[in-house]
Amino acid sequence: MTDIVAQPAENSPDEILAATRGRHLVIGEVVGLYVLSIAAALVLAGLLVAVTGGSAADVFNALLDGSVRNPGRWGLTLGAAAPLLLVALGTIVNSRAGLVNIGQEGQLLIGAAFATYVGVRLPGPGPIVVVALCGAGIIGGALWAGIAGGLRYWRGVPEVLSTLLMVIIAAQAVGYGLKNEGLLLSAAGNRANRNQVSEQLASDTRIPRLTWFGNEFPTTVFLAIALAALVAFALARTIPGFRLRMLGQNPRTAQRAGVGATRYGMGSMLISGGFAGLAGATMLAGGDFGNYQLVPGFSTNIGWTGLLVALVARERAVAAIAVAFTFAGLRTGSGFLAATGVERKITDVVQALLVLALLIPPAVLYIRERRRALNAAKERV
Amino acid sequence: MQTPGPAAVELVDITKRFGRVVACDGVDLALQRGRIHGILGENGAGKSTLMKVLIGLVHPDRGEVIIDGQSVTITDPIDAAGKGIGMVHQHFSVVDALTVWENIALGDVGRLDPAAVRDRVGDLSRHYGLAIEPDARVGDLPAGMRQRVEILKCLRRDPHVVVFDEPTSVLTPAESEQLFDALRRVVDEEGRAVALVSHKLEEIRHATDTITIMRQGSVVERIATADSDAASLARAMVGRWVSLRTERAALGLGIEEAATVDDDVDDEPADARDVLELVGVSARGGDGRVLLDDLSFEVRAGEILGVAGVEGNGQRELGDLLSSLAPISAGEVRVDGRPVRCGVAGAMSRAGIAVVPEDRHDSGCVLEMTVAENLFLAEPERIAPRGVIDRRRMNDAAIELIERFAISCEGPDSPLWSLSGGNQQRVVLARELSHEPKVLIAAQPTRGLDVGAIEYMSDQLRLAAETGVAVLLISTELEEILDLADRIVVLSRGRVAGEMTRRDLDLERLGLLMGGADVSEPAP
Repeated sequence: MTDIVAQPAENSPDEILAATRGRHLVIGEVVGLYVLSIAAALVLAGLLVAVTGGSAADVFNALLDGSVRNPGRWGLTLGAAAPLLLVALGTIVNSRAGLVNIGQEGQLLIGAAFATYVGVRLPGPGPIVVVALCGAGIIGGALWAGIAGGLRYWRGVPEVLSTLLMVIIAAQAVGYGLKNEGLLLSAAGNRANRNQVSEQLASDTRIPRLTWFGNEFPTTVFLAIALAALVAFALARTIPGFRLRMLGQNPRTAQRAGVGATRYGMGSMLISGGFAGLAGATMLAGGDFGNYQLVPGFSTNIGWTGLLVALVARERAVAAIAVAFTFAGLRTGSGFLAATGVERKITDVVQALLVLALLIPPAVLYIRERRRALNAAKERV
Repeated sequence: MQTPGPAAVELVDITKRFGRVVACDGVDLALQRGRIHGILGENGAGKSTLMKVLIGLVHPDRGEVIIDGQSVTITDPIDAAGKGIGMVHQHFSVVDALTVWENIALGDVGRLDPAAVRDRVGDLSRHYGLAIEPDARVGDLPAGMRQRVEILKCLRRDPHVVVFDEPTSVLTPAESEQLFDALRRVVDEEGRAVALVSHKLEEIRHATDTITIMRQGSVVERIATADSDAASLARAMVGRWVSLRTERAALGLGIEEAATVDDDVDDEPADARDVLELVGVSARGGDGRVLLDDLSFEVRAGEILGVAGVEGNGQRELGDLLSSLAPISAGEVRVDGRPVRCGVAGAMSRAGIAVVPEDRHDSGCVLEMTVAENLFLAEPERIAPRGVIDRRRMNDAAIELIERFAISCEGPDSPLWSLSGGNQQRVVLARELSHEPKVLIAAQPTRGLDVGAIEYMSDQLRLAAETGVAVLLISTELEEILDLADRIVVLSRGRVAGEMTRRDLDLERLGLLMGGADVSEPAP
């Protein structure tokens, strides 16, 4: 054997310095991008409000008051953030596996429906019923996403389409359930003059709520944060997480290395749907969304917004915590906008601008990363 | 240049940077009419960049292009064609679904006159001795014929200057010969200027009039072909003495030489057991096309079996099959006598088959993951006791492999895409060999690598065989096969067209088999 011609593997101090500087530059760049993007949105929004005769300062103050500043408001924001975070976590799992699930809104609704069915019918001690209804929610959401997964792996139907279309089916199915007393509809005596409403969860089968500094919120918040940490850990450090990432980034390499797309892909869809279903169940039993009962349109865009949360967090579970709180703030804050006298359409545009401001930096960063990788690849050719 | 004739085109002081890399550094080059100019250099020497400047695909940072004494700016390949410069690319740009003449007419403006184009294609192909059927569908043609389409497409525009980028990489030796004959006609009879870009010494010496050698973005030597000798060219190209057998083969220093360099090659023990067996394996594509056709061969412990053949005859499918990436319709794959399920995730890997794939980005590694993660893709259990990845254990194990395989990277945490191609290849090799495989499949293992990396890869394959691994080398580079293989099978249309050992090597028969000819076994 001849000696191997080793290339020098050490880096000169200059190069190491350059690399460190590079890392600082990247962090600065990210912060700068967000500041720039949000500032631009604020300026645009302010101009829009001013031009239409309103007061920009009033609008932003209302948003802040409604989401955190006024008494009791940040509790509400936390309550809205919890299901957003849960949905986002599921989305992160399936995106990492390279699948696009955009049907969380429907999976969430089905989860809530399963939870309702179990929650109002299962006899037994309250805490056990709460656990059972959460489990039912997970199963419902997983089932709904699993159908799309099955279509994808055994029939070649793109999951982007099937998950989206199944949102509509979910709404119809739940609507049907809410018309049948054998399914979800409340007994005639309990529903007053309302047509489609489920039985209310008994007071001992609800998720406990806490009151801190005059702010009331469900304990689901802690569950969601704990799950965020768990998802982050599982993806980064466990073998299934490792395999899932491998599948998402290079399915052929994964197949060779023993990661079957069907098994792991299906698994990630079930987990993703399960998270959305859990979000639905906790919304039902948590108290921030309606009166502990299921009604048509119960999901109120939490599924869609949770999808955005995952997108803005760039598929990182820990970052999703902060993003979920921000989006929840926009939601609760908007409740105060009507009082400013600015027309609803204008305040909607203001909110949309702020959402866009949060979406642009991740997109820019993503494109840059790809370009950097591409250039690195090109330079070597 | 020895006899400065009228230059058809001149490149003066061309400099082009990509990021920190200087691809071309103040390069001068004059292409004269009536001559074939060889441009020789290793991968990454800047040959391709220079040619891309000439046809407007790359715009230089500095320097100028002079045509007939006038400085011009070439904006894109269409502009270049208008100025009389054409290029035949290494990777074909033909439309499979169209016929030969339709492909040649592509890009024409105005009214299409099929009869005229067809006639012209016929005339051209007769004129240059590049026989082709104008009405054949390009998708049905073998690589050599597709290249003819490209060449005719280029010549029809009557260019003054024609650039050929590594034209023989897909050709059999006989096809290469025909190509060089046609080139000779183009320059001698029509006074065009031809640039032949290659990293194969022998063909440059054989086919050109003058040679320009590039290394690391600069011209290191210009010499008349008649005054050159292979050894000094090789030295100028790599910047050091070339002595190794592998390097000689890599540089295309002659098939004969590579094949006869050592007659003392130890014949593999006849009683070595078969480790990998393929028995009557057939596979079809999604469209029902036959990809592998009753393919049977066996690889013994400690031998290197070379699978030779022209690209597109089932090499890719064979590699995919042994990477658990494709199912089969008939037959069986056995390792150590035990059948292995085909197309089941990880089955081949678990059975002890390691693969250095043809396209490492496709099925060999995950670019977005770190070097360390890439080293443990198949067996994360080794760094994850109780299912949780132990970072320290992963890094320690990775550093050990990085050192053992001399992988040049910033550390185990650097993303794989930040490594050079040769080092990515080492990561793949390190992972596959660290699993102590029974079989090692190397599919086009040195494609796109430079001489140093080729040498390393070849050594590793030999070392693996010496330690008793059954090595299967799938390559379209005949020199590579001749250099490494103990035994050769020729793959043609998805089946074994013939077999020979190193001892009864017959280059002519090999060439014929590769070309798809029906050659019966030689008389004993």
